[in-house]
Amino acid sequence: MAGGSVTECKEYLFKVLVIGELGVGKTSIIKRYVHQLFSQHYRATIGVDFALKVLNWDNRTLVRLQLWDIAGQERFGNMTRVYYKEAVGAFVVFDVTRSATFEAVSKWKHDLDSKVKLANGSTIPAVLLANKCDQKKDASNNSTLMDNFCKETGFLGWFETSAKENINVDEAARFLVENILQNDKGLPYEESNGDRIRLDQDPVAAESKSGCC
Amino acid sequence: MAADNLPSEFDVVILGTGLTESVVAAACSRVGQRVLHVDRRNYYAGNWASFTFNGLLSWIEEYKAQQEATSPEAEPGWRDKLEEGEEALTLNTVDNFISNIEIFCYVSQEDDEEEEEKSEVAPPTSAQSDELEENGTKEITTTMDEALEQQGHEGPEDKETDEACQSPQEEEPPVDHNQSEPTVDVKKKISYAKLLKEGRRFNIDLVSKLMYSRGALVDLLIKSNVSRYAEFKNVNRILTYRNGKVEQVPCSRADVFSSKQLTMVEKRMLMKFLTFCLDFEQHPEEFQECSEQTFWAFLQTKKLTENLQHFIIHSIAMVSSETLTEDGLRATQHFLRCLGRYGNTPFLFPLYGLGEIPQCFCRMCAVFGGIYCLRHSVRCLVIDKEANKCKALIDSRGQRISCSHLVVEEGYVAKEQRKSIVYKQTSRAVLITDRSVLPQESDQQVSLVTIPPLEASGSSVRMVELCSSSMTCMPGTYLVHLTCSSTGTAREDLGPVVSRMFYEPATPGDEPAGDDRTRPTVLWGVYFSMRDTSQMDSSEYHLPSNVHVCTGPDASLGSDYSIKLAESIFQKLLPDEEFCPPAPNPEDIIYDGDGNPGEGAGFEESPKSMGSTIEDECSRSRPEGKTSEQETETKEADTTEE
Repeated sequence: MAGGSVTECKEYLFKVLVIGELGVGKTSIIKRYVHQLFSQHYRATIGVDFALKVLNWDNRTLVRLQLWDIAGQERFGNMTRVYYKEAVGAFVVFDVTRSATFEAVSKWKHDLDSKVKLANGSTIPAVLLANKCDQKKDASNNSTLMDNFCKETGFLGWFETSAKENINVDEAARFLVENILQNDKGLPYEESNGDRIRLDQDPVAAESKSGCC
Repeated sequence: MAADNLPSEFDVVILGTGLTESVVAAACSRVGQRVLHVDRRNYYAGNWASFTFNGLLSWIEEYKAQQEATSPEAEPGWRDKLEEGEEALTLNTVDNFISNIEIFCYVSQEDDEEEEEKSEVAPPTSAQSDELEENGTKEITTTMDEALEQQGHEGPEDKETDEACQSPQEEEPPVDHNQSEPTVDVKKKISYAKLLKEGRRFNIDLVSKLMYSRGALVDLLIKSNVSRYAEFKNVNRILTYRNGKVEQVPCSRADVFSSKQLTMVEKRMLMKFLTFCLDFEQHPEEFQECSEQTFWAFLQTKKLTENLQHFIIHSIAMVSSETLTEDGLRATQHFLRCLGRYGNTPFLFPLYGLGEIPQCFCRMCAVFGGIYCLRHSVRCLVIDKEANKCKALIDSRGQRISCSHLVVEEGYVAKEQRKSIVYKQTSRAVLITDRSVLPQESDQQVSLVTIPPLEASGSSVRMVELCSSSMTCMPGTYLVHLTCSSTGTAREDLGPVVSRMFYEPATPGDEPAGDDRTRPTVLWGVYFSMRDTSQMDSSEYHLPSNVHVCTGPDASLGSDYSIKLAESIFQKLLPDEEFCPPAPNPEDIIYDGDGNPGEGAGFEESPKSMGSTIEDECSRSRPEGKTSEQETETKEADTTEE
């Protein structure tokens, strides 16, 4: 589709899901990453669907990341298909100060894998975020354990993050996007995308994954 | 995913997640109402749901099981929740929407890898049908059960979506350029195991409808910004079945002129007539004399050829031969006005199926704070006897939840509350086929096929043929939906049309020979009847005045009925509020500190369209000791955390 030897600037639109238990900091991470800010007192996530971050990946690649927060549906794990469909990556977040939120991680990962798959049938790349690391009480190092857990559960990797102190949020996102781009290179562009119709005519959303500038 | 208790007070409680209920939910939540939206099923969209192939098979099994099961409801537990002056009103707990389910499998159920070579040995499972019939329902054969077993019972909630339909790894059957002599030999045969393996690529709708590009649903999707959650495909062909042949109907100006079926004279006649229909009200002299007559008779007075009359009646106006002139003109006008907005036909189809649309509205409701609970049933409504109002409901966990209004899917209303128990029915069939009824250069076509009654007494049949890029079937197959008003069982009503237009192998896996090769082969099919409650209104139910019943879906092609019903229910609930004002664009929403204006600098363009919702949220007091992140779920957390 994006053929030719003209100096191409590739543009991508990636939908990334941010999931995890109540109060682990999903919204904080999104806000930190997209808007470079953190507040102790956020407004409720009412009326918010997703946030958009535009990345100048390199001088020939522009990446638009749509980070989808979960709305009131998450409480019973009843997200609609609208939430999952066509996602190409995910962050699963837990709170290092509450072990119960870590125990729920495999449940979330399993749920994710059962509901969305890449075109080739494989699971979407997912990164585990151990959030609120600034509040961690013990300095214990569990990294071997965590590495093994990621291997078993099918995570690409994990990061200790703090939305508050701005630790590792950009790094984790960079890591995930790298993986999404690799996946994308392995797959041909969706040939049928061209004749899809959007009613809102929103120029951003209307972009296909492989537009040329 | 924690399953704590629900808050115990809501403004509006909605039972059922079909289209009407979901639109009401989104509309109420959008203007700041506290909405609880529950469904007793484990999937979204209720009667409007779509299923993966495997999901549909298990759904049918479960559906039959629940209908046979006698509900053992010992049901104490809630009596003590009632107060003085209150009485309980129970709801229907059994799904009655679908009946007369019959399944036919025409592909080899041999579980082998090289299914191209051998196919004869397959068990004759499709012979099931006729003799086994009992009230029109019959059991799925054991082979199918085994196959299901081996696939694992994937519930409909496990529906998967994927990024693209065209998997590059799959060997796809070559595009068939030759219309008359399909190159069957090189085509890889599809086995039952393959259908199961690729089952997640199917999204099989219970209800088959298209969207008029200027209909109420499209207008609402645009107006409310719910459209951001969905993508669509153009229905790119309108076909009709006539004299044993499938023909393309010329409907746009370009079609008319390039049509090979029409003579020069006919082209002019048709253009002239269609131009007149566009603003027929301006020319009353042209039709007033015929206003008592049928549209068909009117067409004859216009001296249109039989060819043209057929196209106009069946495929453009899509009315019956009894329809009166003005109604026929209005239908023609609507069709013409919808042309060209998105493509060369008036219709759109949502990617992933119609079942996607209610979910889009549910997402909007949730984004504005609505709380969702699937697999959640209600034991009874609590009625204030004196005021004859529903004050609350008691759910299956015994929790009493109060509400000011209750909106309920028709199917939840118990027999005792119905004045009439006679219903219209719609007959449905869904087929998986190996190619289009009218193969053309591109195999990615979405077609509406209008089929006039085969016999004078029968009803006309509407068929929608979907290709794999509509994300409703696996590559190399087509998903065909047939719909008509019932006179008998779905099989009786639609079987004759299917037999005429498709090849149904006598033994699973049989190859078509001779004439049969000109028709698509049915790989798998299901017939069922759907209850049509669209003609019922509130006077048909003995219910308190603040309980609103969502009837439908109706049998028509568009969704106007359900959208208008949702709007009228919303207006009864909240007469002073706007119905689905545009939701703000996610990029316009400020993320700033609550009462901490310094932090939000640079992101201050306040989204005015948010109205009072955000403000109300902000003015709520925050429980002590919560970390900032927990704030994100304030609305629900307020009442339940710790």
